[in-house]
Amino acid sequence: MTGPMLAEDMGLSRRLLPPPAIPIPGLLIGGAVGLLAVAVLGLVAAGLAHEHAAPAQRLLAPGTLGHPLGTDQLGRDVLARTLGGFRWSLAVVLPATVIAGLLGTGLGLATATNWGWTRAILERATETAAGFPFLVLAAPVIAVAGRGYWPLLIVLAILSSAPFALAVFEATWGGRGQVPLAPAFCGASAALPVVGAFMVADLVVTEACLSFLGVGAPETAPSWGNMLADARQNVTVAPWILYTPATAILLTVLSANWFGEGLGQLQRSRLR
Amino acid sequence: MRRHQTCVGLAVATSKLVSVEGPRWEEDGHGLAVHVVRRLTYRAAQLLALLLSVATLLFILVRLSASPAALLAGAGASQAQVQAARAAYGLDGPMLPQYITFMVRAFRLDFGQSPAHQTTALELVRLRLPATLLLTAAALAATAVVAVSLGVWLGLRAERPEHGWAFRLLLTGQSLPALVIGLVLVQASGLTPSAGAGSPLSFVLSALTLTWWLAPRLARLTAGAVAGAARQAWVLTARAMGATSRDLVWGHVLPNSLLAAFAMVGVQVAFLLSATVVVEWLFGWPGVGDLLAGSVRAGDFPVVEAAIFAMAFLVFATYATVDLVLAAVDPRHRGRPTPR
Repeated sequence: MTGPMLAEDMGLSRRLLPPPAIPIPGLLIGGAVGLLAVAVLGLVAAGLAHEHAAPAQRLLAPGTLGHPLGTDQLGRDVLARTLGGFRWSLAVVLPATVIAGLLGTGLGLATATNWGWTRAILERATETAAGFPFLVLAAPVIAVAGRGYWPLLIVLAILSSAPFALAVFEATWGGRGQVPLAPAFCGASAALPVVGAFMVADLVVTEACLSFLGVGAPETAPSWGNMLADARQNVTVAPWILYTPATAILLTVLSANWFGEGLGQLQRSRLR
Repeated sequence: MRRHQTCVGLAVATSKLVSVEGPRWEEDGHGLAVHVVRRLTYRAAQLLALLLSVATLLFILVRLSASPAALLAGAGASQAQVQAARAAYGLDGPMLPQYITFMVRAFRLDFGQSPAHQTTALELVRLRLPATLLLTAAALAATAVVAVSLGVWLGLRAERPEHGWAFRLLLTGQSLPALVIGLVLVQASGLTPSAGAGSPLSFVLSALTLTWWLAPRLARLTAGAVAGAARQAWVLTARAMGATSRDLVWGHVLPNSLLAAFAMVGVQVAFLLSATVVVEWLFGWPGVGDLLAGSVRAGDFPVVEAAIFAMAFLVFATYATVDLVLAAVDPRHRGRPTPR
């Protein structure tokens, strides 16, 4: 979460032996079902709910007619805004992960194939970049570029490409010098969905953190981070503003983590 | 008895050779001192390259903004201060001298005055640094206790049924973001944004939240390392030679696996510093993270730049410390100029 994520973290490293021999049952399927639920909530349910500010109805408690989970300090329906958050998160996190994956794969392959001096430089550059606190850099960059969808997407995509590069490099290059491009890519492609799943979980939290700090999503966007910031302002009078988006974040991050871990364990058990 | 000890000694010697993954340890004839100098040089070069790229990135971003002079002077700067920044950075001249001026100032740690705080940005960061160091140290200590005990417990039970449930629970704990945990703690304790800044309560809650942020990851890493070490061939050898389970776990498996986990502390600290930005801001703990979050929101550019540099120094100081400790404790780490 919001930090450098290295191959060791995902159990992909060759330096630590693969942990459990038998995959823990249910992780992969549970994660897949959860991710499906998140997709349905973001694509279908979010379209049915409409949030709009209604100052007369501010800070209504859950259970009020028409607002089953209450309203926030501007009178917006908490349920509708949380559902909108699924759509917003998917729209930011999925493209960012795909772009980061493409960038990182390119970088990792360029590192592994070793055209002359490229490996020496790229390996150290990726390692340095991956070892630097992510938020410390992302927050100022977005603050200067201006908060909004595109700055957020681009910054998340670029800064999160290093773990992909490291994973691809780790999966292709085993200390044996030069590797031909095509087999290297085949070897690396198995690792990508695992890294991608963990990255989705990571970026959902990162987006929430950035928006919580006020340097992520625009103020009006239904980002869960914005909702958590609202919750902090009204924490003593309206606790319900916190729990609905918190549950949504937990569902998304848990599903992605379970899916990634399940997939990783399956691959490692096949390797043995 | 004596014979048994010889056998265990042999097993230890074997473990030192066999349990290394990746390239085997090659003694290159240099001593510890040469290795330390080489490794410190490498870390210094890494830090220098990172600071160069970060400063260049900031320079480009400042160029792209509507009014570079106003941005560099910081939010709330007076007309005179904006003029002073324009003159100091040579903003009326051509691009290359501007870039050089910007970089030279950054590397002399001359980030300018913060108009909001009426002091130099560097001084401001320096005043906030002890609070962050205290908080990170407390969180790291708590994490080490929680994560290592949990990880060792899990790792030694890698083949048992309770492992599956404990692992699922750990994964769930990791998926509950610390930001949410922090907000629940704020709510439970009634700590409002304005009150309680810098109080013991905000320290305890911040440390607790940071521990939640870090411990599940480190526990998983430790569990993986312990499970990996316990499956090594030398464990079987030592067992065959009559070593008891207790000897094996405490004498051989743990030292080997905990070193592997310790090698990753540097990366974990980098991760922790990301978290301090959010957590210090959330609980009002007056550290560098809180300063960075506040300055980013207020657009106080001199302070933001100084805080980024301070974080970079902290991260690389940790990397260097981990390198030195590993080199002193574990001879396998000597003789490699880079961590890989």
